[in-house]
Amino acid sequence: MRSLVSAELLKLRSTRTAWIPLAAALIIGVIAVIATTATAGQGGNPPLSPAALPDLLRASGGQIVDGAVLLAWIVLSAGEFRHRTSVTTFLGQPRRLRAVSAKLAAAALTGLAVGLLAEALSAATSAAALSAHHVPLAWDQPGALGAVVAVPLLAALFGALGAGLGLLLRNTAAAVGLALMWAFVVEGIVPALIHQPGISRWLPEAAANAVLHGASPAALSAGVALLVLAGYAAVVAGAGAALTARREIATAPG
Amino acid sequence: MTTIAVEALTKRYGTVTAVDDLTFKLAPGRITGFLGPNGAGKSTTMRLLLGLARPTSGRATINGRPYAELRDPLRHVGALLDPNVFHPGRSGRTALRIAARPARIPGQRVEEVLSLTGLASAAHRRAGGYSQGMRQRLALAAALLGDPETLILDEPANGLDPEGVHWLRGLLRRLAAEGRTIFVSSHLLAELAQTVDDVVIINQGRLVAAGPMADLLEGTGACSLEAFFLGATSADARPAHPSPAQARSLS
Repeated sequence: MRSLVSAELLKLRSTRTAWIPLAAALIIGVIAVIATTATAGQGGNPPLSPAALPDLLRASGGQIVDGAVLLAWIVLSAGEFRHRTSVTTFLGQPRRLRAVSAKLAAAALTGLAVGLLAEALSAATSAAALSAHHVPLAWDQPGALGAVVAVPLLAALFGALGAGLGLLLRNTAAAVGLALMWAFVVEGIVPALIHQPGISRWLPEAAANAVLHGASPAALSAGVALLVLAGYAAVVAGAGAALTARREIATAPG
Repeated sequence: MTTIAVEALTKRYGTVTAVDDLTFKLAPGRITGFLGPNGAGKSTTMRLLLGLARPTSGRATINGRPYAELRDPLRHVGALLDPNVFHPGRSGRTALRIAARPARIPGQRVEEVLSLTGLASAAHRRAGGYSQGMRQRLALAAALLGDPETLILDEPANGLDPEGVHWLRGLLRRLAAEGRTIFVSSHLLAELAQTVDDVVIINQGRLVAAGPMADLLEGTGACSLEAFFLGATSADARPAHPSPAQARSLS
């Protein structure tokens, strides 16, 4: 299994359309921390204080990193069928569930690694920015540790979600389109359409926000929200894996 | 020892029967040409052999096992089904390193097959910029990665220039002389006639002839493989449909 995961990670490193969004997310995360600290105390923004640290740590991760990891693994996963590299993949490991499990594991590992890197970068940037503004750094602020843990965990789940979605649809544009539609349209209108506003907190994006920002009266608790999101990832990844195991692998017509 | 065995293999897609009760066996140390008109079921048979498609009925085995049950399959079977199975943004070397990793094939072997296929100087270039012939050589390099005893090659000469075809013929002969089983499909009958020892001919998914090429030509009085092939697959020729016991073994 280790060699299969290693092959998947080499695919990531050698595919620019996959790793560029990850690198961009890390850079945007650092810029977000700098922008937040630079505009603190201006235009109605609260002034910098030790209590700002958890928000700074979340600013670098969260949706930016989740979206980038999701996109990267949709590209890698659906791209296997677009470029027919799936032929090589399944000749090398014909037990398809093993090959697909390795892909899902590599996607989750990518999320963990990028999430941890994003938090390390934001911690360093936050420390420098707070120090420059003569604000004491207090790592024991409520929510600081939670942000450092939540960002990598969420990114790992979004990685598995992206890989699963790519396997399920086998079409990069369709999978990216569906993810965008879901995030920007479906989650907003489904609760209203079915006249069940309370259902929105059980949807993936809302669950991810609850994990990142903690409980609020309208949101699930962080633990429940994490389980809900893990459930979505498991269902999508499981469906993608099951379909990949059953489907025939196409080659060019002879 | 039989390396490839196809037994009563059938594959249907809806109402279309792509492979119809096909039976044949191949033995090591021989090059077997797999012939048939377009749509005869050659590529489907090869995909069934390699576990990329599932048979409707029957069995296709390599060394007595379905491909999916082989341990470290790349070390036993090398396959070239389609030269366009490489990500266009990855270099030839990286594409092979990715293919080698699941079987824990070392980087040194990647360099060996790059040299063997004449791609060493282009290995750093992206596969998307390769010519058709270079992609064919890269796919052949991937098939050779595990130094396998069986090679399954679908139209390996497509896109190769005359020098490349000559080189391929020599390579296949050398590999067969080492005791490997080579199963190769092609429409280049004149070229194939210079390369193969045995032939398996199918039409509309059914076996129409199988055996040592020299015996088949002698038995029918055909002056060439092309004449024999055209006679066996013409509209007037009824596809033979031998039972497994009747199907002629090449082993």
